[in-house]
Amino acid sequence: MEFKDYYKALGIERTASEDEVRKAYRKLARKYHPDVSKEADAQVRMRDINEAKDVLGDKEKRAAYDALADRVARGGHAGGAGDGFQPPPGWDEGFEFHRGPGQGPADHADFSEFFSSVFGKGEQRGSARRSYRARGEDHHAAIEISIEDALKGAEREIVLRAMETDAQGQPAFVNRTLSVKIPPGVHPGQFIRLTGHGMPGQGGEAAGDLYLEVRIALHKLYRVEGSDIYLTLPVTPTEAALGAQVQVPTPAGSVVEVTVPPNARSGLKLRLKDRGLPGKPPGHLYLLLDIALPPADTEAARKAYEQLAQAAPFNPRRHLGVEGA
Amino acid sequence: MTLYTTTTVITATAISRENPIAAHELAHACGADLDWVAQLVEAGIVDLESAAASPADWCFYSTDLQHALEASRLQRDFGVGLEAAALILDLQHEVRRLKAALRARGL
Repeated sequence: MEFKDYYKALGIERTASEDEVRKAYRKLARKYHPDVSKEADAQVRMRDINEAKDVLGDKEKRAAYDALADRVARGGHAGGAGDGFQPPPGWDEGFEFHRGPGQGPADHADFSEFFSSVFGKGEQRGSARRSYRARGEDHHAAIEISIEDALKGAEREIVLRAMETDAQGQPAFVNRTLSVKIPPGVHPGQFIRLTGHGMPGQGGEAAGDLYLEVRIALHKLYRVEGSDIYLTLPVTPTEAALGAQVQVPTPAGSVVEVTVPPNARSGLKLRLKDRGLPGKPPGHLYLLLDIALPPADTEAARKAYEQLAQAAPFNPRRHLGVEGA
Repeated sequence: MTLYTTTTVITATAISRENPIAAHELAHACGADLDWVAQLVEAGIVDLESAAASPADWCFYSTDLQHALEASRLQRDFGVGLEAAALILDLQHEVRRLKAALRARGL
């Protein structure tokens, strides 16, 4: 495990004020926001700056982190050369970490092993002292499945890593493998709820829940939007002009025959009702027509194109206000 | 520090029309309280399909949970008000929809 330099992650000095921490975070969060960033490593950077802000934006955690960094600088940490960083035993006694207002349990799910190892124990201790009876916090994670699994349902193993207290009262990392039966018909952005699989409750109260947000993996043919599925359907100019019956594969594995109407244009949307993701109401399968030109790479093909031009004179640029070629 | 492993098999419930979440569950999932959920309703960040009088009767779905979690982060990280968060979420949704449409056209 590496010692994480949170000041470096935010590009600030150790003497930075609370306001400077906040400003640096906001600037970088805009730069690396996954919806707008063009950087290849945006997701990783976003996680790092979120983690850095969580620690440096909190007086208690920042003080503890600074104390730890001083010990590391003096060579007082347990890990030797090549072993990586290990926090010294008992380094955080006397520190108790609280989550700030509006800071939900979802926010630490993606943080690094360094964060869990340094702050996990203190947060647990703080939580235990604050309240004797409280329902456990909910946890959040994401799960990516294929379109086929979304249609038919699936069983997936997910591994969750959490800091818990073992039988000897010592904090330990626990890898919890959950074999989750995903019901058929889930769609992107839908949450799957695993009751009682969040954080344990305090004082005999119930455990929190685990919420898994469904993401659908990119598919080479299909794209999912809500509960609808889209497929780009290539057709020849002849099929588009004259109309045709064409065979179309569905994500459920069957093949259906579809009527392309005469004079169909590129981009025309055909709907196969209720062939999207199941549900109430079920989604539809949409076919987006894409007219593919046969290559003019033989004498016969070139002649056929010339004959077509003579037989059906057509100026696709008329609306541009220009005439012919 | 020990690392050990446990395995559990569980059947999951998808949040849906048949299995919505209640207002207090939405609040708990976001580490917030019922008043905050009422403010989300007021700002239009979460939808109430039927205007139930009591928050105890409110029902929410996956989109509401997604919007509530994102609004919570925007509030905390950027100090925005819920009205501004609602606008940011609308714009974010539109960006994602347009990016998906571009991807579908191979752009």
